[in-house]
Amino acid sequence: MNITRTYLAILLLAGGYVMPAWADPTGLEVMQAADAREDGDDLRQTMRQTLIDRNGNTRERVMVSFRKDEGKDKKMITFFLKPANIQDTALLTYDYDDPEKDDDQWLYLPALKKVRRIAASDRGDYFMGTDFTFEDMKQSPELTDYHWRLLGSATVAGHDCWKVEGTPASDDIAHELGYSRMIQYVSKDTDIAIRVDYWDLAGRELKHLKVTAMKKIQDIWSPLRIEMKNVQSQHSTIITFSDQHYNSGLSNRLFTQRNLKRGYRE
Amino acid sequence: MTILFERIARHPWLVLLFVVLATAGFVSQLPKLTMETNLERMLPEGMDAHINYLKLEKLFGTSNMVVIGIENNGADGIYNPHTLALVEELTHWLQTRKEFRSLALADLMSLSTIKDIRGTADGMDVERFMPHAFSKPEDIAHLRQRLMDNGLYMGSIVSEDGKGTLIVVRPARNMAGHYHEIYELLKEKIADIEQRGGEERILITGRPVIEGVFSIYMPDSMKKMQPLVLALLAVLLFISFRNLRGVCIPLTVVILSELWMMGTMAATGIPMFTVTSMLPILILAVGIADSVHLITHIRVEAARDTSLDRQTAIVRGMQAMWAPILMTSLTTAAGFLAMLTSDILPMRYFGVFAAIGIAYAFIITILFIPAIEAVLPHREQAMHKLAFNGYLNWMSRTVVERPRRVLMLFAVVLLVSGYGLTQIQVNSSLVSEFRPSDPLRHADEVLNAHFAGTNALDIMIDSGKQDGVLEPAFLQGMQSLQQLVEADPLVGDSASVAEFLAEMNKVMHEGKQRFKTVPESSQLAAQYMLLYSFSGAPDDFDSFVTSDYRQAHVRIQMKTDSSAEAASLLHKLEAKLADWFPGATVEFAGTAYTTHRFSDLIIKGQIQSLLLALTAIFILCFMMFRRWSDALLAIMPVSLSVIVIYGIMGLIGLPLEIGTAITGAMALGIGVDFAIHYLYRYREYQAQGMTHADIVQHSNHDTGRALLFNALVVIGGFLVLLTAPLYPQVKLGALVAGSMAVCYLASTWLFPIVLQRSSRHARP
Repeated sequence: MNITRTYLAILLLAGGYVMPAWADPTGLEVMQAADAREDGDDLRQTMRQTLIDRNGNTRERVMVSFRKDEGKDKKMITFFLKPANIQDTALLTYDYDDPEKDDDQWLYLPALKKVRRIAASDRGDYFMGTDFTFEDMKQSPELTDYHWRLLGSATVAGHDCWKVEGTPASDDIAHELGYSRMIQYVSKDTDIAIRVDYWDLAGRELKHLKVTAMKKIQDIWSPLRIEMKNVQSQHSTIITFSDQHYNSGLSNRLFTQRNLKRGYRE
Repeated sequence: MTILFERIARHPWLVLLFVVLATAGFVSQLPKLTMETNLERMLPEGMDAHINYLKLEKLFGTSNMVVIGIENNGADGIYNPHTLALVEELTHWLQTRKEFRSLALADLMSLSTIKDIRGTADGMDVERFMPHAFSKPEDIAHLRQRLMDNGLYMGSIVSEDGKGTLIVVRPARNMAGHYHEIYELLKEKIADIEQRGGEERILITGRPVIEGVFSIYMPDSMKKMQPLVLALLAVLLFISFRNLRGVCIPLTVVILSELWMMGTMAATGIPMFTVTSMLPILILAVGIADSVHLITHIRVEAARDTSLDRQTAIVRGMQAMWAPILMTSLTTAAGFLAMLTSDILPMRYFGVFAAIGIAYAFIITILFIPAIEAVLPHREQAMHKLAFNGYLNWMSRTVVERPRRVLMLFAVVLLVSGYGLTQIQVNSSLVSEFRPSDPLRHADEVLNAHFAGTNALDIMIDSGKQDGVLEPAFLQGMQSLQQLVEADPLVGDSASVAEFLAEMNKVMHEGKQRFKTVPESSQLAAQYMLLYSFSGAPDDFDSFVTSDYRQAHVRIQMKTDSSAEAASLLHKLEAKLADWFPGATVEFAGTAYTTHRFSDLIIKGQIQSLLLALTAIFILCFMMFRRWSDALLAIMPVSLSVIVIYGIMGLIGLPLEIGTAITGAMALGIGVDFAIHYLYRYREYQAQGMTHADIVQHSNHDTGRALLFNALVVIGGFLVLLTAPLYPQVKLGALVAGSMAVCYLASTWLFPIVLQRSSRHARP
């Protein structure tokens, strides 16, 4: 009798212990994995931004950008190559992990021949006239801003994904970021959110983000083409990435105001 | 025709059954009737103001904004924790409502969303003036100081005196045509807020709200005025006919005509517009004339020869009257159909349905009246007991004995009116169609007095090439344009990308005032645009420049929606545009431009349709009287009344606009009836060989009496409109009443004199 009971207890305990490995992750766990996804210690890449307005007019910018991680902080420098009237304009950003500390940004304007410090933007602000907010540009949202809930699995463009719903943790956060809800489709094998749908504060569908091409470069899954479409304004942005080089040991001297002025040379 | 009337008199019940069945048919259609409240739909499709408006909406977004004003007359004005919290609450509430857009900064501007650009020692700072509702006194004092230093939002979001602040929000695209719902929604929200108490007063205005409320308010109050008009018509009919029958029969005729007309509108699926909402009241006034004439005649026939049996009296009355009634219905219908030349769709509908209503009134009059008279018990009424004998006798004597005095009087009136005509102004303003006590007009006036202005004049300039807007010369052109318009006291503010770039230039030069100029090269301008997109609200510029920097938008805010003011500003601008923007295409849009162009169209259309109506009526009269001189005579009183009415408008400073323009055509159509009736009767008696004095005496007692009743009833009925809540109704009432009076007086006093003189000349 005792033996049976002990056996059962062991079985239950063992089962209970082993279970997480088989069971679905929580929404938060999916997002944590996406947030912790390997992206190298540094990266150099070329970015092409295409803005398409409601009337089909397009505007293109080409830039080359460098990123280097320093612990949890990031340094970034971006040189604009096209169009001609902003060529040699360059932006340097120090992005601090500490939410209390504002990011530092400097911009070099060649027509003025001056480096100017510019204040950090609000996270919900739109970035460079694109359909991305500054927050959207990050690898994943600030995890504590949202309550995450796993809605199940779904197949998106042939990828098996976790479907996770995020709802803002507070009204203030909702107003700061501009969303009342989002659904992330995180690819199970790459941990990349390959589709994100956003809803505005009035509960209307607002934007769709899609990663339409990705590739493993130096063993790191890298998005090659991202599309963001605002379904209300019919404005959309396409960003393509190329010439990625990870972990090439970029020098700290690259990320200085002096280098901003010097500009990008092949 | 006689056979028809005899049949009607013999089988009245059959005719009545037909009328009842037809009415039931029309009434069954009524539930299908819809309302069109979108004023944009009134514009003709090919009109530049309309095309430009659509283009503006497509390229830069509409500048028709809903404006919520918060006023606090306390010691600190709006700069206190309670008011600031209220601003934030309303802003957040608007962001969550589907009725509004709040995607870009330009969609929703309030103290909680606007941003401050400031130059610092080593760069630039962009941040929201009020990231959260401030409660500490030092934060609030700082906010006030920063708003003052920045200056960009002084007068547009906060008032100079610190007593008021605005929340300016763009309605969602699908709200067009439902703007009155926005007003109701806001009123409800504000009632909630005000119930909680506080020193703030909240006002709502903005073009969409004014248009929405107006377009729903007008038909609504028209509906409410109708029982009043009917009641007064009843009283006046009773005074004229002195019995219940004389009241009920004409009223039944006009109510049936109205039901038939509205039923037809419903059945054809044509919606009711603000303008066409005047139709029901119009048909009451026009339709009643036929029945008044017919009943008077049947009475007079019966009273003249008491030996006649009922049926014969009816048939005789019908024989005497059908031709002039048909004639007046035709001329009236022709007057209204002339409105088909208008470019404005609701004006065309107005003309068509007025003509249809008149046709119905004619049909109902000649079917229903003989039938009902035959059915109702016969009652004697002696001639001398008929009303207004004294006046009619006096009039007959005067025109025969003292024609010169009468002529002199009319000459003086004509001269004064002629002078007034030269003074007439063209102007239209939707806001001034509301009574001054109306909360919406009050709100609009208060907010326009303290802020930049709620009426937009938009200028779109196409440089013709990519990045053309960023050229220093082009930017300088926009600055010169803004300087010119801002010198106008009725312009509250103007905005363009040039203004922002000048501000950026200053900020990037350590905030030195002398650098508040447009960037010296297009590269620098492009780099500023990029810089701004990193640090602030990039969407700010969507409403001022296209993404290829080829086309720019200058937004001018005016404190008035008067079309005359817009016209004078446009005139000043047009002279300079070629100098400022050589080779560029410049187009105008916005409320101010639309009203201006609309007003132009109305006047042009008005003159056309007046001339056309006069010609048509002239030809119809010629066909009836077979004499050019008589046709000319017939249009004389209406021509006189148009001159007098527009002359009086000129004298008292009442401008010509859509409402008053309609009355011209209406006056023409209705007023010509008097002349035709009088002339017809006069010629008939003349053919019987009577002397002039006898003709005048006789005509005045039958036709003259009917004309007097008709004039009294219609003038009285329309004067009720003077108490209406909206001015278009008041003006309609006063002008129709006035022109009826002139037509009546000219037809009955002037005609006999002119006829006598012309026939004297005709004799060898």
